[in-house]
Amino acid sequence: MSIFLYILKRIINAIPILIIVSLISFFIIRLSPIDPLSELKLNPAISQQTLEAEKVRLGLDLPLYKQYLRWGGNFLKGDLGVSTSGELVSDRLKERIPNTLLLTGIVIILTWLVGIPLGIYAALNWRKPADRIITIFTSIGMAIPSFFYALLLLVFAVKTGWFPVGGLTSFNFSQMNIFGKIFDIIHHLFLPVLVLFTLSLASLQRQMRGNLLDVLESDYIKLARAKGLPENKVIYKHAVRNAINPMVTLIGFEFAGLLSGAALTEYVFQYPGLGRLVLEAVMKSDINLVMASLMIGAIMLVIGNLIGDILLKIVDPRVTME
Amino acid sequence: MFKRIIYIILIIGFFIFLTTSCLHKDSYEDETVINHNLEEDLIEYPTKKDFKIIEFNGKEFIQNQNNIGKFGGTLSNSTIGEGPKTFNIWNAKDATSSSLGGIMFEGMFTTDPFNGEVIPRLAKSVQIDKAGKTYTVTLRKGLEWSDGKEITSDDVEFTYNTIIKGGYGDTSSRDVMAVNGVLPTCKIVDKYTVQFTTPEIFAPFLRMLGFAIAPKHILKPVTDKGIEEFNRYWGVTTNPKDFVISGPFKLEEYVPAQRVVFKKNEKYSIIDKNYNVLPYLNKYVVYIVGDLNNQVLKFEGGELDILPVMGKQVARFKSLEKNSDYKIFNLGASDGTTFLSFNLNTRKNEKGKYYVDPIKQKWFNDNNFRKAVDYAIDRDYIVSNVLSGVGMPLFTAEGLSSIYLNKELANGHKKDLTLAKELLKSSGFYTDEKGILHDKDGNVVEFTLMTNAGNIERESIGVMIKEDLTELGMKVNFKPIEFNVLVGKLTGSLDWDAIIMGLTGSALEPNNGANVWYSTGSLHMFNLRQEDDAINKKDLLPWEKQIDELFAKGATTLGFENRKKIYDDYQQIVYDNNPFIYLYTPLNIYAVRTKFKNLEPTALGGVIHNIEEIYIE
Repeated sequence: MSIFLYILKRIINAIPILIIVSLISFFIIRLSPIDPLSELKLNPAISQQTLEAEKVRLGLDLPLYKQYLRWGGNFLKGDLGVSTSGELVSDRLKERIPNTLLLTGIVIILTWLVGIPLGIYAALNWRKPADRIITIFTSIGMAIPSFFYALLLLVFAVKTGWFPVGGLTSFNFSQMNIFGKIFDIIHHLFLPVLVLFTLSLASLQRQMRGNLLDVLESDYIKLARAKGLPENKVIYKHAVRNAINPMVTLIGFEFAGLLSGAALTEYVFQYPGLGRLVLEAVMKSDINLVMASLMIGAIMLVIGNLIGDILLKIVDPRVTME
Repeated sequence: MFKRIIYIILIIGFFIFLTTSCLHKDSYEDETVINHNLEEDLIEYPTKKDFKIIEFNGKEFIQNQNNIGKFGGTLSNSTIGEGPKTFNIWNAKDATSSSLGGIMFEGMFTTDPFNGEVIPRLAKSVQIDKAGKTYTVTLRKGLEWSDGKEITSDDVEFTYNTIIKGGYGDTSSRDVMAVNGVLPTCKIVDKYTVQFTTPEIFAPFLRMLGFAIAPKHILKPVTDKGIEEFNRYWGVTTNPKDFVISGPFKLEEYVPAQRVVFKKNEKYSIIDKNYNVLPYLNKYVVYIVGDLNNQVLKFEGGELDILPVMGKQVARFKSLEKNSDYKIFNLGASDGTTFLSFNLNTRKNEKGKYYVDPIKQKWFNDNNFRKAVDYAIDRDYIVSNVLSGVGMPLFTAEGLSSIYLNKELANGHKKDLTLAKELLKSSGFYTDEKGILHDKDGNVVEFTLMTNAGNIERESIGVMIKEDLTELGMKVNFKPIEFNVLVGKLTGSLDWDAIIMGLTGSALEPNNGANVWYSTGSLHMFNLRQEDDAINKKDLLPWEKQIDELFAKGATTLGFENRKKIYDDYQQIVYDNNPFIYLYTPLNIYAVRTKFKNLEPTALGGVIHNIEEIYIE
């Protein structure tokens, strides 16, 4: 089967999944007793007419299923609706998504560039001091909750004054030259990247190490060594290539986490990304905003899985696409 | 084996190294000591703002009489939450948007930050005719928008007749101006004079003339395109160059979820004693922070210059003040109120069922019962424990910072269990041998007390009140519930017994609380009447009727002294009848860097009411 047909099939498969996800999320949010207008209702300055107008504007006067159909229809047309405060949801997402992608993108590139070699290195030096030391650090990395680690680093930034406390750019950013700008962004990104990097590095390195150790035990490696292949070739041509297969599947999940994976860290560091926006939206039951981000999350997961599978096919000829 | 021990020691050592770096000498003195010191921070200021209106270079400037400062520098402030939704102040529905918009657009009048009187801004004077219905406003001559066009009565007339009356933007400013549904009229007399006429005498209107004036030459083409277009105009995605403003600072940059940067308006209409055009500061930056903790961190990291200090933090900041570069200002009581209220509703819902159990109705409508609860609550204990001393007990319907506060009631009373018990006894309540309170028909006194979950302050207060009322033998089931659900009960289903709630108040205009106090008001929560009930209000309580009358009279009486008497009476009635049992009000405390001069923080104006004359030494 050609690869395009396969992709098409997967996309068609994804449609019912997305519909179910949207149904569940829509009704859970709507049936929860959160009223987007409750703040207004308790404000002495807001008149009854204003309240009614708001209700109509947000479509809260319609029955639930009609609200869903209206939302679904608009979503298909690419119209994500307006948030409770009246701005276009797509505008709000547009201003935040690049920031989140910048953060998670850097983190993913860094972790893969460092994690895979480190995993190989640890596996090759199995039970030697180097492996032990790496294990200690990765265990710590896996054990620390991300928000706590982020808070610690934030306190560190405040006490030393070496790093800015949250945000992405300084207030005089627009007056800086290009190098100043790059430095300013790196300066602000350093701590959040460090948090996410340490955490995801740990699991990636552990996985790679485990996979490679399994492969190194297998018969064909013994055979390769027995027939006198140079050790380099045994490891990098045969062992690593086989050990990397499960990691390719992981890429799919990493892709899904591109937009939503950093929410906690973003919140602690007051990073102007998607996570903070969505968290605030959930608290206020800003349904269009929450739905848009949930749907983006679901779509990213579907696409991520697809990418993972295709990549797997490329690196492992044994995988078929039936 | 030996190797393994070495590893373990290494790991432990590493951990100790990690954790010690987190320790910090952050301990501070006992809180009670610090509460005392707070009194010293209450600053004495002039009784009124000192300024002159003088003509200079063909323009009528306001001349500030404060110290002459230096030009340049940046002041960094912050706002908690999502940041502004719009910079169009006429469409601002939330506090952040309207305060940021307020820096760019001024009104004809403003409030004297020291005594709350109405003082001129874009206007020079206002004259009210003998009938008390016509307000003749004279604008200062030669004032300019930031694009150089003159500010005239055309702009005022356009703002009022087109934007406000036409229902553009946020309509709540229009709603509060209406007297019995009729809006005042506005007409141009000459280039600098406009005349407003209210259909009846309407005292709060003078203060309402402080609405922000819009530049007609920019906004007229927008309003012509309709309300939708106007409401989108000057939103958060607008190019900052497009703003035409009258205030001290103009938007320079808005970075979503990070900050709003303002730069000074060179054409501002206030000067100092040396005839320099203010403001002194080059830039005013407002950081958008997600929560209180981050705000504190940003202040400690030196990024912010002003920090509202809350509860427990006050003690720490106070103790560190001496060796720091900031000063603590105590602005006095905030204008919000927190109260306990019983549901006095005796009506039935559409299905013919009582909103409140008839047995409980009798208790809640018994004045002695409410008074007993009032006397059983230990407010001092609440203030010292929940607010860490950063608050004051509250007894009056107008907040402690209100210029209409009835000072005779402000000190209230102490907790008095004996009196409370006597009051209950006189209404026939008795306690059995186990100490449980029964009413005169033998029913056990038990009710549910609710508040919004997540508000830690109110949750702890609920527990304390429950303890206090247990001393009277009442069984209180304290139940914090989701804010939205609570509001649903308060405004819709009305099935609640008692609540702890808060309302924002106004320190300047009691009539802003009309929605709460009129017996037909939509926030008359202690006895809320649904639509039908509101039309034929047959079960109006005598004191509800009195308050109705006082509010109607208060709105149609001119002159502060005359109105003060009326609003004193209403506070007395509320005090005597306890529809709301007021609990406490927090103090507004700010930490501000000492490098800023000309600071005069006040309860009514906040820290930056005179931002144009604040400078850096």
